[in-house]
Amino acid sequence: MNIVEMEQVTKRYGPTLALAEVSLSVAPGEIISVLGPNGAGKTTAIAIMLGLRQPSSGRATLFGQPPQSRCARARVGVMLQESGVPGSLTVSELISLFQSYYPHTLPLAEVLARADLSSKRHALISNLSGGQKQRLYFALALAGDPDLLFLDEPTVAMDVELRRTFWAQVQEFAALGKTILFSTHYLNEADAIATRIVVINRGRIIAEGTPRTIKSLVAEKTVRLNTDAPLERLQGYPSVQRAEQRNSHLFIYTNEPEACLAQLFREGWRVSELTVAETDLEAAFMSLTGQEVQA
Amino acid sequence: MSQTTPRCLSPTSQASGGLLKMLATQIRTEFLSNWRVPEFLIGVAAIPVMLFMMFGLPNARVTFPDGTTVGALMMASFSAYGLLSLVIFSFGVDIANERGRGWLRLVRATPMPGWTYFVGKLAMSLLFASLILLVLFAAAALFAGVRLPPMRWLATFGTLLVGGLSLSTLGFALGYLARPRAASTLGNLIYLPLSFASGFFFPLGQLPEFLRTLAPYLPTYHYGRLVWGAVGSPEAVGLFTGLAPTEPWLHTLWLAGSFVVFGALALWGYRRDQGQEGV
Repeated sequence: MNIVEMEQVTKRYGPTLALAEVSLSVAPGEIISVLGPNGAGKTTAIAIMLGLRQPSSGRATLFGQPPQSRCARARVGVMLQESGVPGSLTVSELISLFQSYYPHTLPLAEVLARADLSSKRHALISNLSGGQKQRLYFALALAGDPDLLFLDEPTVAMDVELRRTFWAQVQEFAALGKTILFSTHYLNEADAIATRIVVINRGRIIAEGTPRTIKSLVAEKTVRLNTDAPLERLQGYPSVQRAEQRNSHLFIYTNEPEACLAQLFREGWRVSELTVAETDLEAAFMSLTGQEVQA
Repeated sequence: MSQTTPRCLSPTSQASGGLLKMLATQIRTEFLSNWRVPEFLIGVAAIPVMLFMMFGLPNARVTFPDGTTVGALMMASFSAYGLLSLVIFSFGVDIANERGRGWLRLVRATPMPGWTYFVGKLAMSLLFASLILLVLFAAAALFAGVRLPPMRWLATFGTLLVGGLSLSTLGFALGYLARPRAASTLGNLIYLPLSFASGFFFPLGQLPEFLRTLAPYLPTYHYGRLVWGAVGSPEAVGLFTGLAPTEPWLHTLWLAGSFVVFGALALWGYRRDQGQEGV
């Protein structure tokens, strides 16, 4: 029995189509990543699964019930984007308030420890740093010992180090048998912890599968360079997924940029103006849907 | 549809304290989060006292035939003003801000029943209202020599609180209908003219004709009439306000009516905010 169910959900904001006939099921114990560029419809999808917004057509259920039902919400923990917390409360006061909302709770000390906030328990929220506030939102999401955790772009304001610890904390919680659904626009985050990735772009699910499947479709890195090596030669490299000439540069999409570059140098090709970057998801998804990539 | 997956509780999971615990925590949290903001305390408690000292003291000891002093009636005026500002700011502007910051959206995703939030706000406001009234009453007794029989003190206190409660829906409506960034300006635009036109700053008899004609259409005017009526006899109130005596039930009816009308507006705004209309 699935615990999240979206059937043919369409959502319009006036003339804008935010979601187009999206169907998605989540089984207990899964760690689902909803991956897509900004404005793809991730936040809208989560809001509908949570009953915070009504679909224009289609249906969403949580634990087999309407998402607004108190029974369903009692089993869900949520981290949304931009939830301005009341600044004049302390960390533990606010967590206690959230604990009182749920029929079951985790002990306060455990919530604090899981979100790495034990040393800040008496701090006023207005005195927390940006990263500490994100951890507080995580703590609020854990307060009710939820079966299912929704995290809407949780790491958007975090630096690399914070991200790493944050995902470790999420995984620790998942290890209790919990189900996690998170949205991100970083393929490497989705890849690192998800059991299944759902790629969404312009309101549509354009790919779905294990991290391995998705990575074979969308290369993680983009190598941009000038070289005298012919395009056809590069396209033949085992490490290269796709290569193309765009303007004055050559663009190589790959999951193993090191191997690709090593082969280039080993064969003695000239390389200049080299950059290696995370693949721009927008561009990658466009190519997935077969749409024209605009340089 | 009726079957569902079993709960997956952590080994350390505890049963929560239930409804009473939730209510108590909500009220306590509401109170603390306002109590710790000095600007809030100054705005709702210190300003009415300050205004009373400025406008209420000069003629405070003028005494009407029944023994009621101008000071006592001015104390009632500024108490009404103080509670009106509390209602507008702690319900209206606060709620609009909490909506604007996204806080209420997160709270809505929890199983907390919506009314708990309002009960928390109401209880917190009743506490602060009592505080404002005690401070103002004490200032009136100390500096304006206001003396009332115990029953009159109690009646004034009770009328102010209950009447203030009846205005709460005005605040809730503002909180759910105003755009968050406009709420504070709107709040000022509502409560200052209302206070003035209802005779809280200067007795209505001293105000221009058109305001005296307008006043009976304002719920706050009726609030004022009930509060003055609790302080002194109809004759004293008539001499103070410069208005003809009226029936208290008429004012009560007006307050009840505005409670319902603004309540309906607030409910509509609340529903709209909940996204129940597919917004």
